[in-house]
Amino acid sequence: MRDYVSVFFQYAGQYLKTRFTYRADMVVEIFSDFLFQAVNLVFILVVFGHTSLLAGWSKDEMIFIYGFFLVPFSIFSSFFNIWDFTDRYIVKGELDRILTRPVHSLFQIVLERMELESLFGVGTGLIVMFYAGGDLGLDINWYDPFIFILLVLGGALVYAGIFISLATIGFWSDSKTDIMPMMYNIGNYGRYPVNIYNNIIKYVLTWILPFAFVGVYPASYFLGRENWYVFAFLTPVVGLVFFMIAVVLWNIGVTKYRGAGN
Amino acid sequence: MGKYIEMIRIRFLMMLAYRTNYYSGILIYSINIGAYYFLWNAIYGGKENIQGLSITQMTTYLAVAWMARAFYFNNIDREIAMEIKEGKVAVEMVRPYPYLNMKMMQGLGEGIFRILFFSVPGMVIVTLVFPVDLSAHAATWLFFFLSLILSFIINTQINLLAGIATFFLFNNDGLIRAKRVVIDLFSGLILPISFYPMWAQNIMSYLPFQGISYIPSMIFTEGFKGNEILQALTTQAVWSLILILPIYVLWTIAKRQLVVQGG
Amino acid sequence: MENIIDVQNLKKEFKSYSSRQGLKGAFRDLFTRNYTIKTAVDDISFSIKKGEMVGYIGENGAGKSTSIKMLTGILTPTDGKIVVNGMNPHKEREKFVKTIGVVFGQRSQLWWDIAVQESFRLLKKIYNVSDQQYEEHMNDVIETLDIGPLLDKPVRKLSLGQRMRCELAAALIHNPSLLFLDEPTIGLDVLVKLKIREFLKKINKKYGTTILLTTHDLSDIEALCERVVMLDEGKIIYDGPLKELRENWAEGKQIQFQFSEKATIEELQSLTKEHLVVWEKGASDLVWVASVDSDETVISGVIGKVTAAKKIADLKILEISTEEIIRNIYVEGAVRHG
Repeated sequence: MRDYVSVFFQYAGQYLKTRFTYRADMVVEIFSDFLFQAVNLVFILVVFGHTSLLAGWSKDEMIFIYGFFLVPFSIFSSFFNIWDFTDRYIVKGELDRILTRPVHSLFQIVLERMELESLFGVGTGLIVMFYAGGDLGLDINWYDPFIFILLVLGGALVYAGIFISLATIGFWSDSKTDIMPMMYNIGNYGRYPVNIYNNIIKYVLTWILPFAFVGVYPASYFLGRENWYVFAFLTPVVGLVFFMIAVVLWNIGVTKYRGAGN
Repeated sequence: MGKYIEMIRIRFLMMLAYRTNYYSGILIYSINIGAYYFLWNAIYGGKENIQGLSITQMTTYLAVAWMARAFYFNNIDREIAMEIKEGKVAVEMVRPYPYLNMKMMQGLGEGIFRILFFSVPGMVIVTLVFPVDLSAHAATWLFFFLSLILSFIINTQINLLAGIATFFLFNNDGLIRAKRVVIDLFSGLILPISFYPMWAQNIMSYLPFQGISYIPSMIFTEGFKGNEILQALTTQAVWSLILILPIYVLWTIAKRQLVVQGG
Repeated sequence: MENIIDVQNLKKEFKSYSSRQGLKGAFRDLFTRNYTIKTAVDDISFSIKKGEMVGYIGENGAGKSTSIKMLTGILTPTDGKIVVNGMNPHKEREKFVKTIGVVFGQRSQLWWDIAVQESFRLLKKIYNVSDQQYEEHMNDVIETLDIGPLLDKPVRKLSLGQRMRCELAAALIHNPSLLFLDEPTIGLDVLVKLKIREFLKKINKKYGTTILLTTHDLSDIEALCERVVMLDEGKIIYDGPLKELRENWAEGKQIQFQFSEKATIEELQSLTKEHLVVWEKGASDLVWVASVDSDETVISGVIGKVTAAKKIADLKILEISTEEIIRNIYVEGAVRHG
C-alpha cells in the first residue's frame, strides 16, 4: 500500500512537469472544463426562467445538487480517464507494456491517464454549493464536512465503477464502441430529482447505473430532505459495491486479453 | 463522384461491422429521449405551453433533435486530429482526392447508416412509448430533410475546422471537447433556442450553431410556419457557404506548414 | 542446474470473427457471426536453464510473440503449464514481473514526453528498487551502454538507436535474473547492434542473466546464442544447439575455383573421380564450383587434385549461411530434431 502511494506521487510529479511544459494546452483544457460545467448551469437557469418549481424542487436546490455533483464528478474525471481504454490500450496493445510491470494494471492506467487539472471542478462545485446553500439558508454542522467527504468519495466510486465496468468490455471485444461518450450523457440524469422520472428510469438510475448516487441522493442530505436520507447514506455502500464489481470484472478481463495484432 | 460513393459505402459497411455499438446505440438513444421526456414533463408541470410549444411538440422536438443528431453527428474532428498527430495526413494528401472532401464523405456514410439503422428503429420505439406527433404534412417532411442535410453540412464544416486546428495546437483535445459542449448548448439540442432570454437569442442568431439542431427540429414540429421555414433554410444555406472560407484559409496555411515540417 | 523456464504442453487459441462479404453479408453479421478458432501456439514444451542465452526464431505468425507474451504473463494460456522463476506468470503477475525484464523492440517502455532519467526514476519506484541497489547496478549499465549523455533528453528527441539502448537500460533497472527481448535490434544500424550484443554478453556473464531473444536478424543469434528454439505454425520444429542445426542442415560445402586457364567439365570430373563431387559452372568459363560433403578428407582431396593439375587464380570455401539453412528448413517444412 505504501508503495502504491509513493508510486502515485512519483507519477503525479511527473505529470505536473509534463503539463507545465505544455501550458497552453492546460489552459485550454481547464477552460473547456469550465465551459462544460457552465452549460449545465445555463440549462438549469434557462429552465427556471419558465417555471418556479421542478417536481417540488426549487431553482437553488437544483443548483445546489449540481454543485455537489461537480465534486465527485471532477474527482472521477481526474483519475478515471478511461473512456478511450479500448482504443488506447487494447487495439494499440499498450496493455502489453502495462502488464510487464509489478503494479496492478488498473492502477497503472489510472496513473498514466490522470488529468489533475480536472480537480479545478471541485472548486467550482464548492463555490456553486456555497452560493446556492447561502440562498437557501442552509446550516453547516461540525460533522457535515466529514459526511460530505464520505458521500463525495462514494459518488466518485459509483462513477468509477460504472466506467471501469464499461471499459472491461474491451477485453472481450475490441471493436469500436460509442457507449462511453453516450454514458456520460446518461450520467447527467442523476443530477435531477429522480422523482420526476417514471419507475423504470428511477430504478435504472438507482440500482443499475446508479448515477443518482452521484447527485440527487447524497445532495438531499444537505438539503434536509429527510425522506431520502436512507439513499443518501447508502451512497458510500453503493460506491464500494460497484467499484468492487468493476475491479473483479477487470481482473477477469485481464485474463481474456488477446494482445495486439491478433 | 464514383469514388465518393465508394467511400460512403465503405464507411457504411464499417459501421455495420460493430454490432455491440449498434445495439447499445439504439438503447442509449432511447434512454436519453426517455429521460429528457420526463425532465420536460416536470418542467412543464401541467402548463399548457411554454414559448409557444406544447408538451407534445416539446417531446417531438426532443425526439427529432436527438434522432437528427444521429445523422449530423460524427467524429471526424477527432479522426483528423489523430491522423495529423500520427503523421498520416501527409500520406492522405498524396491520394488523388481532396482530403477534406473524403473526410466529409466518410461522415456522410456514418450519418446515412445511423439515420437508417438508429433513427428509424429508435423513432419507432419512441413513438410507441411517448406521445410524439409524427403526423406532419409531406411538405414539412421535405423541408425537414432539406434542413437536415444543411445541418449535416454545417456541423461537419465545424468539425473540419476543429480538426484542422490540430495543426496549430499541440494537443487539440480541449478545443474539440469545448466545441462539442458549445454545439450541444447553442444548437438547440438540449434547449430550444426560443427558451433562452432575449439577449441570448439575439447573440445566437448571429452564430451558425442554430442551423445544426434548432432549425430542423423546429421545422419538423411545425414550430416554424410558412415564411419562417424559408427564412430558416436560407440562414442554414448562407452559413454553409460562409464556413467554406475559414476552412479554405486554415487548410491552405496548414498545408503549407505540412510541406515545411514534412508532417 | 535449475530450470528458469519450464513449459509443458503450452497451448494458446484465439477465437476470431470473420465477416461476410458485401452489404447483405454485413447486415447478416449484425445477428449471427461466423467465427473460427486459430491455434497460435500448439502444444509446445521446453525448458531453459539459468544463465542460458536462447534464440527464439520463427517466421511471422509462427507463434513467437504469443508464446513470449505467455511467458511474461501478458497472455493467459488456453492450456498447459508454465513455470518461470518458480512462479506461474499470469497468476502471480505482479510478483512475477519483478523478477523479469522485458524489451519489446516495437513498443516503448519509456515515457515519451519526459527525460530519460525521469523515466528511470519512475520505473525505479515502480519496481521498488532502493537507491543503493540502483546506484550499484545502473551506473554500470549506463556506462556500458554509453547513454550517460542522453539521460536528460526527452525520449521523443532520441534516435532509434539511442532509444533502444535506453529501453534496454530501463528493462534492467531492477536487475532481473531473466530478460526477454522481442526484436531488440529491429531497424538499428550495425554499430548499435554490435554495442547491444556486447552488452548482453556482458550482463549474461557478470550477473548470470538468462536471456530469451526473438529476432529476425540471425546474426544476433549467431553472435549471442548457443541454443535456438525454432517455431513453425505454433509448434517447435527444432530445439538444440545452433552448431548442430548447422551441421545437420548445412549439407556440405562449396569450393569455388577461379582458374587462370579454361577448364571443361569433363576434365574436372575426371580429376576428382574418386570423390563425390558435383561440378557447376560459375560466372564465367574460368569459374567452377564443386559441391562436396562437409568432410575434411573430401575437401582437401578435391583441392589437392585440382590444384596439382591446373593453375588457379583464386580459391574460396563457401559455407551455407544460417539464414539459408533456416530458409531451407521452412521451405522443406520438415520436422527433424538435431
